[in-house]
Amino acid sequence: MMASAFAFFQAQTWKVADGYSVKFDGGDPSGEFTGLNGTIQFDENNLAASKFDVTIDVASINTGNGMKNTHAKGAGWFDVEKYPTIAFTSSAITKTATGYEAKGTLAMHGIQKEFTMPFTFANNTFNSAFEVNRHDFKLDDGKHEKMVPNMKVTLVVPVTK
Amino acid sequence: MAAIAANIYNQVYFFATQVDFSAIVNIVTLVSVNIFVSLLAGLLYMLSTSLFKERGVIVFNLAYSMGSFACVMIPIMFTLPLSQPFPELFPGLAVPMVFFPVIAWMTIEPLFPS
Repeated sequence: MMASAFAFFQAQTWKVADGYSVKFDGGDPSGEFTGLNGTIQFDENNLAASKFDVTIDVASINTGNGMKNTHAKGAGWFDVEKYPTIAFTSSAITKTATGYEAKGTLAMHGIQKEFTMPFTFANNTFNSAFEVNRHDFKLDDGKHEKMVPNMKVTLVVPVTK
Repeated sequence: MAAIAANIYNQVYFFATQVDFSAIVNIVTLVSVNIFVSLLAGLLYMLSTSLFKERGVIVFNLAYSMGSFACVMIPIMFTLPLSQPFPELFPGLAVPMVFFPVIAWMTIEPLFPS
């Protein structure tokens, strides 16, 4: 009886499947990250027990240009040696008119900020699109004044049980 | 001649790195680009020898060499499709190829004395 009660309060645990994409678009640069890991607990009928705890391997960044990749990983930008991951940990997931919202903490470049990530879940795939202001995380070497501050991020994450 | 050299180098580079750049660099693109560059060089040679007479060959050779060096930046700055793995290896393939047309020209040109 205790086991079944415990199971009742657990949200479904999902594994990230192949074919996911984590893309960012700031004009120049644009690209993707290919190292997504973490645990996803999500149940549409039990949002209170749902939780995202995911990380992105910063070294997996790819802009399509080797020189830009090296530059992005360097001390002036993501500084992958000091801050090897980007992490998002949710504190609450709620339903919205267009889908869902995951409120939590986004940790990047040694800075943690409260962040709300809108997303949808359909056909065992999480979809999310949002913007991140790189200045909030001090991602600026001061030499690219023309680079847009807001990066458009698009996540498509198929999952399996 | 430059296209032949480029295709041989393409095969050698693939053998050495096992990274396939054929989506961007293949026999069609190599032949097309080398023909285009060589035709352009021919036109510029004609122009240079018409304008500068005896010094036209010197001016052309200088311009062709310097232009080739300047073109080194093209593969370095080139953005590959995100699906292409190991983009950092692309300059190693494409930069030497930038010099093949000018090398071919310098090799063949003395065979056709004016």
